[in-house]
Amino acid sequence: MNSSTAESERRKTCWLLLLAPALLTLIVFMLIPAGIVLRISFYPGSTTIGAEGYSLAQYVKFFWNPLHLSVLGETVAYALIVCLGCLVLGFPVGYSLARHPPAKRRVRMLMVIVPLTLSLVVVVFGWLVLLGRQGLINNVLVWLGILSSPQQLLFNRTAVVIVLIQQFLPFIILSVMNVVMQIDPFLEQASTSLRANRVRTFIKVVIPLSTPGILAGLSLIFVMAASAFVTPRLVGGPRAQMVGGFIYDQILTTSNWPFGAAMAFILLAVGFGLMAALNTAIIRPLTRGLHVQ
Amino acid sequence: MFSDIVDRMLAGVGKLVRVLVYLTLILPGVIVVATSFTSGNAMRFPPTGFSLRWYYAFWESSLFFDSLTLSLKLAALSTVLSLLFGFAAAFAIERHKFSGRELIRGFMLSPLLIPAVVLGLGLMQLQVWIGLSQTFVGLLIGHVVVTLPYVVRTLSASMVLLDQNLEQAAMSLRAKPATVLRTITIPLLVPGIISAGVFAFVTSFGNVSLSVFLGAGGNVTLPVQVLAYVEQTVDPLVAAVSSVVIVFTLLAILIADRISGPRTVI
Repeated sequence: MNSSTAESERRKTCWLLLLAPALLTLIVFMLIPAGIVLRISFYPGSTTIGAEGYSLAQYVKFFWNPLHLSVLGETVAYALIVCLGCLVLGFPVGYSLARHPPAKRRVRMLMVIVPLTLSLVVVVFGWLVLLGRQGLINNVLVWLGILSSPQQLLFNRTAVVIVLIQQFLPFIILSVMNVVMQIDPFLEQASTSLRANRVRTFIKVVIPLSTPGILAGLSLIFVMAASAFVTPRLVGGPRAQMVGGFIYDQILTTSNWPFGAAMAFILLAVGFGLMAALNTAIIRPLTRGLHVQ
Repeated sequence: MFSDIVDRMLAGVGKLVRVLVYLTLILPGVIVVATSFTSGNAMRFPPTGFSLRWYYAFWESSLFFDSLTLSLKLAALSTVLSLLFGFAAAFAIERHKFSGRELIRGFMLSPLLIPAVVLGLGLMQLQVWIGLSQTFVGLLIGHVVVTLPYVVRTLSASMVLLDQNLEQAAMSLRAKPATVLRTITIPLLVPGIISAGVFAFVTSFGNVSLSVFLGAGGNVTLPVQVLAYVEQTVDPLVAAVSSVVIVFTLLAILIADRISGPRTVI
């Protein structure tokens, strides 16, 4: 009896030792840094060097300035439009991937995974070339007679939205694919055999079963799109600003870390707030009574 | 009758969207590679002439070449560390049914949800305090944090699929736990380990949003160098550099695909 307790204690220590490196890395180098950001956002001045005390000065500075508020509003709007665009464009692709036989899926999967793993700067640079004055899109539009001469297609809001959508499409495609693969095709066939058409089957069968998984994918995209700074910086120009770019400037150009930290935290709060709202408003009621993993 | 027409129209629209999506996904990369072979000085499409002059310029440019070596070294090291930490963690999570297991799993995946600006600023301040600011080690730590979730997720998934009867068979033949791990568990998990490693490697190799904060001093990775360059000017030299990044990424993914199949990469 006694020896078996000692044995189970020993095993427990063993499991803890296995978890320790990863757990400690994340606690020390992710959780503590996040706490530090929260702490320095309450510094009163414009530097962290020698700063002490607590104040709401940074938050007041943010919420008192209409410019900051409009950038925040614009950022949230961008993120929502990007989510919607990703859903509309990505759903058909993810759905068809899930229903493809594995052999046919291979090349298509590579076309989804390679852009996902390719460095963001390379992708954005590709868009700079594509949309540039002498780029492919301008040439095609002029050749088709839609434009009489090459136009500036970059450095505006549309360009930012297009590039952000492309950037996050692989995420939604893979989410949709994973969710749809878990839906038994037989359910759809049953619905069709009961004379429901494509639209009806889609509304009655596919949507209810796939919504929770897809919303999880979308909320990840929302958080990432809202904090984007490389894309708006390179293709947005001065007219299309996002909070991420503002924070980047405060940290690396102006070196005003307390203000940057406060904005970063507001961004984090907006993202998590939206995810929590989605979870309680849509995912929970939908999955109640269902055994969804 | 009417629903038939609607069905067919929807099928057509779906096909159109799919073609459009695949095109937009691959077009930026294809265009970059195509223009990198231009013999002219301007970025234009279609490119003028064919030459390797911009690849030669990249080879000559110590700015980009040093960054490439740094990025490769960083990606290799963070992959090894991530695999070691992630394998141990995934093994503990999947094999030991302790309470709070789901919480730990969620925590392991949480770096994916923290915006790079938050992690970047927090790590910068922490590293200033502990004296790792603007060092290679500081950069490496950041990369391990962002690659760890992918490794844990991929390895957890392949451990769930592993047939535990094989391990039990070996144990019933009195193999020691260490021997079982070495001769049964790890060999069976090789495809998963390769996928996880490749994903960690390309994630680290391509990372720009965290590196831009942590490597602002001497340790400029290739993506950060490209970002800094593109902010100033767009020329075929960047196209050549980007093509090299594309080739490395593509090769890594193809290797994983060959060995473990595309489903396991994500």
